Amino acid sequence: MKKILILIIIIYPTISFSVDNNKINKITKNLRCLICQGQSIYDSQSEFANSLKKVVEDKINENMTEKQIYKFLTDKYGEWILYEPEFNKNTYFLWLFPLAIFIFGGILIFKKKT
Amino acid sequence: MILSQIGYYSLVFVLAISILILFYCFKQLKFLNKNYYLNLINLNFLQSLLVVISFSSLIFSFLNSQFINRTVYENSHTTKPFFYKFSGTWGNHEGSLLLWILVLIIFSLLFLFTSQKKEKKYLTLTLLFQQIIILGFLIFTLVTSNPFDIIFPIPNEGLGLNPILQDPALAVHPPILYIGYVGCSIIFSSSLAALMSQSVNGNWASHIKKWAIVSWIFLTVGIMLGSIWAYYELGWGGFWFWDPVENVSLMPWLTLTALIHSLAVIEKKSQLKGWVIILSISTFVLSVAGTFLVRSGILNSIHTFANDPQRGIFILIFLFLLIFLSLVIFFKFYKQDLNLNKLTFTNDLSILINNWFMMYFLSVVLIGTIYPIFLEVINNTKISVGPPFFNKLISIFLIPFLLFMGFGASLGWLKSNFKKIYLQNVVLFFVSIITSSYLFLFIGDKGLFLSLIMGGSIYLFLATIRDLIKKNKQNLSQRISHFGFSLLVLSILFNSIFSEEHNFNLNVGDKFKLEKETIFFQNISMTNDKNFKKVEGIFLIQSNNYKDIILKPQLRIYNQPVIITSEADILSTLYSDNFIVMNKIDDSNMFNIRYQKKPLMIWIWISTIIIVLGGTLTFFKDRK
Repeated sequence: MKKILILIIIIYPTISFSVDNNKINKITKNLRCLICQGQSIYDSQSEFANSLKKVVEDKINENMTEKQIYKFLTDKYGEWILYEPEFNKNTYFLWLFPLAIFIFGGILIFKKKT
Repeated sequence: MILSQIGYYSLVFVLAISILILFYCFKQLKFLNKNYYLNLINLNFLQSLLVVISFSSLIFSFLNSQFINRTVYENSHTTKPFFYKFSGTWGNHEGSLLLWILVLIIFSLLFLFTSQKKEKKYLTLTLLFQQIIILGFLIFTLVTSNPFDIIFPIPNEGLGLNPILQDPALAVHPPILYIGYVGCSIIFSSSLAALMSQSVNGNWASHIKKWAIVSWIFLTVGIMLGSIWAYYELGWGGFWFWDPVENVSLMPWLTLTALIHSLAVIEKKSQLKGWVIILSISTFVLSVAGTFLVRSGILNSIHTFANDPQRGIFILIFLFLLIFLSLVIFFKFYKQDLNLNKLTFTNDLSILINNWFMMYFLSVVLIGTIYPIFLEVINNTKISVGPPFFNKLISIFLIPFLLFMGFGASLGWLKSNFKKIYLQNVVLFFVSIITSSYLFLFIGDKGLFLSLIMGGSIYLFLATIRDLIKKNKQNLSQRISHFGFSLLVLSILFNSIFSEEHNFNLNVGDKFKLEKETIFFQNISMTNDKNFKKVEGIFLIQSNNYKDIILKPQLRIYNQPVIITSEADILSTLYSDNFIVMNKIDDSNMFNIRYQKKPLMIWIWISTIIIVLGGTLTFFKDRK
């Protein structure tokens, strides 16, 4: 048992959090193509999508961070463009409701068990 | 003309019979003690016959391109291939509703046929609820979406069917999904009836479990077909987009899966009765809510091919009536179980944990799908909830879920040999963690979280294999389904982590070099098909690792309506899929090419089929 644990401890530091090397793809996958039906900028070939891909590329070349790019785009097009909604007063409920359900369910089961 | 009238009037008769059956049901319930029993099977049979006639006349209108019928005019075209004229019958709002009613009525008849020996009060009540649902949908269809509307003067040509719906998988996808949804209606009616006649017990559970499994099989296959279609037709290379309409079909699947597990607890231990009723109700409510969300068009989705806010309001009212009715019945008739046993470390605890996670996943999908709608109404803020949201909230919880699933299935019903199971599982667990760590070390830097989730799924995979090769034949179908599920998670993980994606522009005759492969855009050809022009590109893919591959993606220019679609070409092998799709770039001779390598793609479908096979096996086991 100890040996296994030691082994795992040795292995883990070599595994770090991943960095997506293709930043444009990552960002455009999180953007909605506003004129399409349920497609991301990345997936769409529409004129709008292609021009936004260009915009994202330019912004990356201007050394803007991912967050800054999202900020820039939401200022321009509204939150509708982001596939991952921000965590703000409009979306507290959205993000926290499932967790509340999970905790609630856990309490129910725990109560029943004891 | 005559076809439309036959169709319309038989539907009106169906409605009349529905009211008649309702009347008899009430009468029967009133005189229940006085040995008054009418066999309502004949009426149900007549009803089924009429609805079949009605549906057939719509099919014939489509096959003969009778454009006097508005539904046919709006959704068909003379040059459409025969098969798609046929499937076009349900490729639109009106026709799909009629199909829904057809399945609903035939299922009710089947239920009556197979359950004749059951208690009369229970049977009559089930029939009653079933007819209320049928009546609701009939009124909805006749008032807001009559499939037999007539137009004068008769148009010469129809408007055609959306080309992306002209596809074999999509031709069978709606009927199969509908059978799944409608099966849930039986569970709904039957659970309310059982509650009212005080017969929620082990017998009832085994009886309704069959219907639950049938619905579950169809729902699973229906979702899979939709997913396969999205994979090759939408041309994005993914198979699940967290699109609202996909979510809507996933929600009843989650509750139904939870229900099938919980029914086993009633069967064995006569517990969890109230919870099972709640699950039965919510499964059907979610199915109807799904119909509402899709049909009302308030969802921004690729699927909203027919919508109208008024229809939405009607279904919404119907939905609230259903919920109200079931809540009233639930609170009036449900009595808390008196002999509540304490839960121990046995199978029922693991089933509760399964339900716990299922409800969590459901809450994620539900809130993610409907929250944007509510926020827009309340606050006038438009937000999108897309794949990153769902992936984030689900993937973290997948790790404990996988572990519990692997561990829980090895527990017994009465008591478990805890030490032995514990040791076995710990060994398996460490084996999996190490395997996954080494896998990532070998392949490259991919992150702690991914290796944990990979570890969890390898653990489940090993655990289900261990359970699968056990000697005794008990629960074989469950073991097969669980094995299929672990295979599914594993292939999805491999697929999403190790997929390669390349996006580039090419001229005809040019080559594009990737790390290990060269893609040569050899040629392009143009041909005429029956209702579209086909532009076909020929791509040669060369690599040192395997033989040359030729892929031929297409662009299709449909004539009616004029829509350009791009058809991917996919070479599937057991190891990996090669996926290529091309698009014309405006004002240029170049084409945008998207080339993807998707490892283990085919296993996503194979494992789903294994899951379904496990479910089907329950029926063969019973016959022995």
